[in-house]
Amino acid sequence: MKEIRIHGRGGQGSVTAAELLSESAFEDGLEAQAFPAFGVERRGAPVKAFARIDDEPIRIRSQIYEPSHVIVQDPTLIGTIDVTKGILDGGMIIINTSRNPDQLDLNTQAEVVTIDATKLALDILGKPIMNTALLGAFSGATGIVSIEAMKNRVKARFPGEIGEKNALVMDKAKEKMEE
Amino acid sequence: MVDFAGKAEPGTTKKYKTGTWRTYKPILDKEACIGCEKCWEYCPDSCKIETEYDGDIIFDTDLDYCKGCGICAEECPVEAIEMELDEK
Ligand code: SF4
Ligand code: SF4
Repeated sequence: MKEIRIHGRGGQGSVTAAELLSESAFEDGLEAQAFPAFGVERRGAPVKAFARIDDEPIRIRSQIYEPSHVIVQDPTLIGTIDVTKGILDGGMIIINTSRNPDQLDLNTQAEVVTIDATKLALDILGKPIMNTALLGAFSGATGIVSIEAMKNRVKARFPGEIGEKNALVMDKAKEKMEE
Repeated sequence: MVDFAGKAEPGTTKKYKTGTWRTYKPILDKEACIGCEKCWEYCPDSCKIETEYDGDIIFDTDLDYCKGCGICAEECPVEAIEMELDEK
């Protein structure tokens, strides 16, 4: 089972990202669940969202304490909370930052992958909404969920131009992971 | 002793540095600033600080709290503020 924890700030779409991730996995024929961690619900406050993906039915309903994957939407959270907490050996952390993994001070055995998702979002969407870029990166870096399913889900959720542009963001992010 | 309770001190908002949320940051052209106070009046986060530069009063930004909304750049009558991507 893959267990994914997403760290973001209120307003950045962490919950939407977790939902899109699990919906995409479902479209790929996998079993999936997504849920948020309720905390202080105000813009800017650190928030968490979770997703589980498996090829077997998922019976567990608890929070995720030992994720196989962590997605960090906002690099400034790194100093505030421990984004590496509980991550499994051999796990992966995907971080939205303009820096390289070795420029980040992360004490972890997990593989650290970085992508400047904010810049990608600004270039294509014109807005710093970077969650779809991170999903594309997740697909590219892990192959757990197909990029086709992700693009379908984002287009279904945001019909019209916004969905199309977000699908493009996903493609570009995936390409960057494969570079 | 109760170890499950907490006490909030006064003025904790000051310690809560919200500047990390921003995407863009304002860059001030100190030469161009005429110290008119407009940005200070409009900044929703009260983070414009009066400073002295070359004997003149100018208004620079307290980046600990600036959220990069760009209102100051929009309001400045002499376009002394430019918004730049704040790389993180
Ligand atoms: S960008 Fe917004 S928050 Fe920052 S100094 Fe200007 S008006 Fe204030
Ligand atoms: S509005 Fe512009 S000119 Fe006026 S004080 Fe602010 S930066 Fe200086």
